[in-house]
Amino acid sequence: MAIAEIISASGHAHTKDIAERLKVKMPSVTNALQALSARGLIRYQSHSPVVLTALGAEIAAVILRRHNALKSFFTEILKLNSDEAEDAACKIEHVIGEKVMSRIVTLREAIAERGDCVALREYLDGTMPQICADSKIAREDLIPLSELAIGHTAVVIKVGENLRGVRKFADLGLVNGTVVTMEGFAPLGNLMRVRVMGSSLSIRSNDAAHIKVKITQ
Amino acid sequence: MKQIYRVALAGNPNCGKTTVFNLLTGARQHIGNYSGVTVERKTGRCRIEDIELEIIDLPGIYSLSSLSPEEKIAFDEILNNNIDLILNIIDAGNPQRNLYLTTQLAELNIPMLMVFNMIDDAERNGLVFDFSKIESFFGTQVITTVGTTGKGIQELKNKIFELVKYPHVSEPCRLKYGESADSAIADLSEKIDKLGLALTKRLPPRYFAIKMLENDETICSISELESLRTEILPIQERLTQRHGISAETFMADRRYGFISGVCREAIHISNERRRQFSDNIDKVMTNRWLGIPVFLIIMYLVFQFTFIVAEPMMGWIETFFGLVSWSIEEVWPTDTMPLLRAMVSEGIIGGVGGVLVFLPNILLLFLAIAFLEGTGYMSRAAFVMDGFMRIFGLHGKSFIPMLLGFGCTVPAVMATRTIESERDRLTTIMVLPLMSCGARLPIYALIIPAFFVNQYRALIMLIIYLIGIIMAMLGAMLLKSTLFKGEDEVFVLELPPYRMPTLRSIIIHMGERCLLYLKKAGTLILAASVIMFLINTFPAKTEFSVDYNAEIAKVEQTPGISSEIKSTRIAELETGRRKESLEYSLAGRIGRSMNVVMAPLGFDWRINSALVGAFAAKELFVSQLGILYAVSDADEESSPLRMHLVSNYSPLQAFTIMLFCLLSIPCIATVAVVLRETRSWLLTIGQMIGLIVLAYLVSLIVYQGGLFFNIGTEMVNVINGA
Repeated sequence: MAIAEIISASGHAHTKDIAERLKVKMPSVTNALQALSARGLIRYQSHSPVVLTALGAEIAAVILRRHNALKSFFTEILKLNSDEAEDAACKIEHVIGEKVMSRIVTLREAIAERGDCVALREYLDGTMPQICADSKIAREDLIPLSELAIGHTAVVIKVGENLRGVRKFADLGLVNGTVVTMEGFAPLGNLMRVRVMGSSLSIRSNDAAHIKVKITQ
Repeated sequence: MKQIYRVALAGNPNCGKTTVFNLLTGARQHIGNYSGVTVERKTGRCRIEDIELEIIDLPGIYSLSSLSPEEKIAFDEILNNNIDLILNIIDAGNPQRNLYLTTQLAELNIPMLMVFNMIDDAERNGLVFDFSKIESFFGTQVITTVGTTGKGIQELKNKIFELVKYPHVSEPCRLKYGESADSAIADLSEKIDKLGLALTKRLPPRYFAIKMLENDETICSISELESLRTEILPIQERLTQRHGISAETFMADRRYGFISGVCREAIHISNERRRQFSDNIDKVMTNRWLGIPVFLIIMYLVFQFTFIVAEPMMGWIETFFGLVSWSIEEVWPTDTMPLLRAMVSEGIIGGVGGVLVFLPNILLLFLAIAFLEGTGYMSRAAFVMDGFMRIFGLHGKSFIPMLLGFGCTVPAVMATRTIESERDRLTTIMVLPLMSCGARLPIYALIIPAFFVNQYRALIMLIIYLIGIIMAMLGAMLLKSTLFKGEDEVFVLELPPYRMPTLRSIIIHMGERCLLYLKKAGTLILAASVIMFLINTFPAKTEFSVDYNAEIAKVEQTPGISSEIKSTRIAELETGRRKESLEYSLAGRIGRSMNVVMAPLGFDWRINSALVGAFAAKELFVSQLGILYAVSDADEESSPLRMHLVSNYSPLQAFTIMLFCLLSIPCIATVAVVLRETRSWLLTIGQMIGLIVLAYLVSLIVYQGGLFFNIGTEMVNVINGA
């Protein structure tokens, strides 16, 4: 795909350009090119530019179309910015099949164009960017509960799915949005105590590490 | 037939549930066990006007799930027994956490009454409640009480009377789980309802639907609901996708959301001064560095307390039994049924009395434990000691049974039920007998004052206890790295605020233990005393190496010596005769046949036969020694037994004896409860053998080591004065 883009930009692709674009080392590119060449998708000889075969060009076009379809879904419907959309599309295009892809395309077109989706479009315009902003903050400010400084207060934002006994913690009030205050650690070992809803709970720090919190003050 | 209404008390741990229970039922309580498990089941009777109530004190729980044995029990009780009214006890000082259980109880459609307990505390801390709003949110009525003073109890009784006599189903709780979830719940409830189960006659189908969506173990394993299992997965998936949290925690999330709404609207905080005092204490008590030293000091004070305060009381009891024994001997002529006379005055009064002397020690120890439990220090101790326990593969929760083990191993083994992990539970049970129980206290209480001067007594005691603890820890480490290997499990423990326990609750608790001890003395120990008396007496020796009667007669007729010397000589002869007949008796034979094995530990046949008695009950060790050393001219002022011990054993031997008693086989009652709790003969017998081997090896090393380094082999004169 990268090769196709470079070719469309400059007519041909050099191994060096490909390596720069994909941010990989030259030998890896050489390896990959040899593999593609073996499958008859490109014509490749050392020290000369890479050229797509007819079959190669056809496949490249399909790949490019898929990529762009996903990217526009991310930008138009999920309201991600171009970089985020590019990033997400690159990751997802390799794992979904043609059927899923064509349905995503249909969904995008339906939402973007159909007259009965006006209200939905407005809703998405309003809601999606907010979610985006939130997750961005979350990523920067979240710390594991186990690393909260003594005496500091924080809000539970996310309870990790790997946490053992998740429901037990939930029963005791460790759910999203709960305010917790770090009270200290036990002598030896890894027990810590946190104030949750007016009572003091003692839990293991390795469990607490799965609970992500955001400091309030 | 008169109907008895059933009222269940439900609430979080430490919400003052038991205090309310005690206030409602007074002394009319019955403590038993839940069938199959050994979490205590407390019920009591209460009469209000003309109706009779059975009050059930459910174990303290945070939620109606089935994540812990307590929760399972509480749930079973509600599910399987017709409950006419639930009293939901709420710590008014901490409504947010406590109301979580309320949200679930309210879904049961059983008439309910909310009791905001400790309301005085909450108000002092600046909480202002709008109860009419709370009532409308949960659809139930509210009563406020103060458990410690009994305030509001009369109103509570009136309300119970009213609700039981004229029952009406409470209005539904206003809790909703959100549009998508509610419709899924409604769908599922309908399907459950269609199954027409017996269960749903008592509890609403909606409740089962919610619990199924929460993946509740108990509900999901109900076989009648099996057919619906497959339908749940897609619903759960949808909820997860829609709300971004797993279905398991979704309900909890919603419930807390509802509660925070309730709290915002109905509870106002005028000044933030919550738990200031408690927090300040905790800065020291659970401090990273001070926590463990503080704990050790507290334990030391407890032992010091049990010793010093008990000493005079023990004197009174001793005098009392001396008097009883004396008056029996006075009233009962020597020649009518001499065997029975001896059995009553020596065997029974000596045996049972010898054990009852230590009642003050036991009572005070239980008093101290009950006090620490009541203040909330016990869970701090678990918190503080967790790191230490983890070195040995256990965790803080094993620590509470171990502390109870200082009282009696039997309830301690039962208390291991609170440990969720089966591996940890079994490990704890296996090492529990090493925690020196109250029944072993008489042995130390007899030996320590005899051999050690006042200022070292508590120290020696502490050392004995510490050796037990260390052995338990090492044993646990061994077990956890071999037999019970595996990963550790989730640990959550609440540290309740410090409270002053009410005198009433301590006294009730102490009274229970006191009764149990007396019962044990009256049954097991009485029976064992008689058996011990019999094996001490039979087979009777008729031919002695010396003709003692003639010798005594000779001494009496010898002229020219003072009567004092005469009586000393006679006493010597009497003792000699006794010694010979005892050696000839079954007990003596058993003791001597054990000599081959036990001699390297410095034990003689008397100690050996007393050890046999200790298997029946540890206290019998003392009474058996008492019988073996009983002399005709028992002096009531000084403890005669102690004098005999001092003249027969070195402090090193005494210490080894205590060590062996500490480590060796648990008593019959413990063996029985271990068998019941582990449900395994293999583990029970393995434990017995393991403990005997351990006791033997440790005693051997200590005694032979002591002999080698010449430590404590001779009695220092100053010490003798004790």
